[in-house]
Amino acid sequence: MDATIAPHRIPPEMPQYGEENHIFELMQNMLEQLLIHQPEDPIPFMIQHLHRDNDNVPRIVILGPPASGKTTIAMWLCKHLNSSLLTLENLILNEFSYTATEARRLYLQRKTVPSALLVQLIQERLAEEDCIKQGWILDGIPETREQALRIQTLGITPRHVIVLSAPDTVLIERNLGKRIDPQTGEGHEEGCHRLGSELEDTGKEIYHTTFDWPPESEIQNRLMVPEDISELETAQKLLEYHRNIVRVIPSYPKILKVISADQPCVDVFYQALTYVQSNHRTNAPFTPRVLLLGPVGSGKSLQAALLAQKYRLVNVCCGQLLKEAVADRTTFGELIQPFFEKEMAVPDSLLMKVLSQRLDQQDCIQKGWVLHGVPRDLDQAHLLNRLGYNPNRVFFLNVPFDSIMERLTLRRIDPVTGERYHLMYKPPPTMEIQARLLQNPKDAEEQVKLKMDLFYRNSADLEQLYGSAITLNGDQDPYTVFEYIESGIINPLPKKIP
Amino acid sequence: METSSRELQAAEYLEKHQIKEVVSYLTSALLFFRPEKPKEYLISLLERLRIAKVTGVAFPFFMDNSNIVAMFEMMDSSGRGTISFVQYKEALKTLGLCTEDEDLQDDGHKITLDKFKEEVNKRMKEICEKTKGKDSESYQTAAGLLLLH
Repeated sequence: MDATIAPHRIPPEMPQYGEENHIFELMQNMLEQLLIHQPEDPIPFMIQHLHRDNDNVPRIVILGPPASGKTTIAMWLCKHLNSSLLTLENLILNEFSYTATEARRLYLQRKTVPSALLVQLIQERLAEEDCIKQGWILDGIPETREQALRIQTLGITPRHVIVLSAPDTVLIERNLGKRIDPQTGEGHEEGCHRLGSELEDTGKEIYHTTFDWPPESEIQNRLMVPEDISELETAQKLLEYHRNIVRVIPSYPKILKVISADQPCVDVFYQALTYVQSNHRTNAPFTPRVLLLGPVGSGKSLQAALLAQKYRLVNVCCGQLLKEAVADRTTFGELIQPFFEKEMAVPDSLLMKVLSQRLDQQDCIQKGWVLHGVPRDLDQAHLLNRLGYNPNRVFFLNVPFDSIMERLTLRRIDPVTGERYHLMYKPPPTMEIQARLLQNPKDAEEQVKLKMDLFYRNSADLEQLYGSAITLNGDQDPYTVFEYIESGIINPLPKKIP
Repeated sequence: METSSRELQAAEYLEKHQIKEVVSYLTSALLFFRPEKPKEYLISLLERLRIAKVTGVAFPFFMDNSNIVAMFEMMDSSGRGTISFVQYKEALKTLGLCTEDEDLQDDGHKITLDKFKEEVNKRMKEICEKTKGKDSESYQTAAGLLLLH
């Protein structure tokens, strides 16, 4: 019964199902919630958690010094991800809560809200329907380590933390150009007038004299200068920020990303969005089933060999399999040989049978595989799917035509030693060897062109079929390409916003 | 690294409510039956567990009596009617009925089918008693169902 006498043969459907439905992450999230809240009655709690189904909603914290563009980025992310934005100002302005009223009073007196009260406000707000269903973005909170720890003790954990950073001089200058449009934002004007000028800026669009000037002249005319943006005040705020942020960052070790705010707004937003849509690496068990696609000469065999060597995957090269079958004179080999002799393509059905035989072997199932050379067109791809060999990572290696020609047409082989040379990348050492080098007729220019055309005719269909494929630039040195492939395999696939 | 008091508290919580066993059972069921909608399936399993706890109806264990006999026969490949001590210990570990460092006495004799069944049922009953619902007597019936030959 134990694994030493008879090794456990886990049917491949199980790990495939587990990967597709993210069972590991599902269970992990449930356990996390159980341990944070430790309910007396775990089973109804688990049922409720599953009903809520909010494992993948955005939970983001954006931190950064004043004038880094936090609020702008936060608002854009909110609109894009359709989540709720929480800032100090809009938490205090909540009119339906006693805590908020208390907070407002203290804010008017001392210009800050005590951490305990603030965190209580956050807790109340996050328990509301819209935050649970659609996620939340905290803008500028936690500011201090105390706030960070309090939030953590309540069990509120963000999934992504973005810290914007820029040199102080840039920020001070930028702050001087800040302008506010008083007319955007929803209906808080009444409450705002009572609460002091800083709160008037709630939800208002922020513009800038140099970087983000609104195109419409009517907006330009009504822009106001906000209070306390003078150099001295900004410098003071920056000092305080630097003092505090150093102690907040260690609270979020693996989920933090620092983005430079010293670039155009759109670039910062794009980086933030890509980061927020990526999943973190999990400990889920994962057997890679990698498919490498690309025109002839793009480096598929080399990358497959590197992958097989480093991760001990099984390197399945379609062409190689067929040649081996013929050489070994197996039953399949006998059937394939006439096609080889006539130089015709082997029919799909036969091809699939040979592939199935290899991919069904125990070492492929247990260790995972790297497949290349197939599928060449949509029909083969559908056949693969139907047989159940679904790759969980697909890579397209793009290499421009000229590079491919260079790589292939300059290949030579020495008939005496059998050594392979390349006239540009690995030239033969002596003139004598060079004189006797031969070229493989398959590497002639016209043949290469033919094969490339064939690939590109089918590539559009294949790209559509494998929607989550990763496209790489194959025109670099092999180890760089290998690193890209590695990171594509190890990191979880980015999730697409529906 | 010393374990903080919160960690110890969390470990205690897991132990007290047998969370590990429940999660293990849920994951095994999911991977075995592979339903189209995993969350709905999990909800239905959890509802059944909840009802079982309250009313004492047969706890939907993964293994029942016929499985125990089948397991024994699988281990006893030569059909002698006994299994070795090592196999017995491994089987208990696989069923989740015995922890890694628990010290089972090896009384020198081989384990027969009856002894195996008896031990499995005894341990299952212990688990049932630990997680007893409101009405512990009605829960005994669930364990009793398991003991039926």
